[in-house]
Amino acid sequence: MATYRKPVSIINEAGWCGGCGHGVVQRLITECLEELGLQDKAVCVVDIACSYWSLDALDYDAIAGPHGRCAAVATGIKKVRPDSTVYVHAGDGSSYVIGLSETCYTAIRDIPITMIVVNNGIFGMTGGQMNLATTLIGDKTVSSKEGRDADTMGHPVDMLNIIKNLDVEFAARGALYDAKHIDETKRYIKRGFENQMNKKGFSIIEVLSPCPTNWKMTPIQAMEKIKNENEKMFPVGIYTDRGGETV
Amino acid sequence: MAKASANTELCKGCRLCVDACPKQAIIPLETVNKKGYEIISIDQGKCIGCGICYKMCPDYVFTVE
Repeated sequence: MATYRKPVSIINEAGWCGGCGHGVVQRLITECLEELGLQDKAVCVVDIACSYWSLDALDYDAIAGPHGRCAAVATGIKKVRPDSTVYVHAGDGSSYVIGLSETCYTAIRDIPITMIVVNNGIFGMTGGQMNLATTLIGDKTVSSKEGRDADTMGHPVDMLNIIKNLDVEFAARGALYDAKHIDETKRYIKRGFENQMNKKGFSIIEVLSPCPTNWKMTPIQAMEKIKNENEKMFPVGIYTDRGGETV
Repeated sequence: MAKASANTELCKGCRLCVDACPKQAIIPLETVNKKGYEIISIDQGKCIGCGICYKMCPDYVFTVE
């Protein structure tokens, strides 16, 4: 029977709140890099947000970009160090709201990096403000106290449906609410690193993740919310795959 | 047969493993670790070594071997 052991690249304990999905995403990234033998060439680009904890926890070269600009920082690293494996571990606030132009232009330029976006529908580290792109209609946050209202605050948007039209290599969305979906997410992340190893184009993997602290729920209730509400608005699966099947 | 073991000093008391375990082999305790989180213990008699707790845990508490 299979054995499971914490990846050796994780040298420090996870700094996130109990039940946060970032810890699982960090483990999936390190497992994929170790299985592909890329851990010595890895450069981690994190964002000034919850993913920043990854800077201390991992045994990789790492840099924190200005908030939202991690895709642009990763582009620069990939241009001057084309043999390194550059990945971005960022949140949805950085990638889809504050750094939307950086994310889109990295996709348009088809830079061969792997971008992992943790979609928890909220600005986590700043205290739980509404995220224009990913907070669902009716969700209560500190900046939408009565619940998000479509008339005054607009609708959430499925960014992968936009990015898939920009001729990128791979775009997919995974979820973390059960072991099956975690395995599926790991396959997507691994595919992203394989594309980079084979010098193909831009890969983006979005992960539906819970934020129990700011959603004001227990971690188990937060997982149920992803399964019953968030996944309806943001369906999991492969959005585009230049080397294979497309949904 | 593989069995799960837990380093409960890393635990943050989120209880995701308790909910996910298919054999109800993970028991939530009221004991706290050094960080002050309520920890868990594993009923080795019920554990089948499936690794689901390892996959769900965001804090790398479990080892299955």
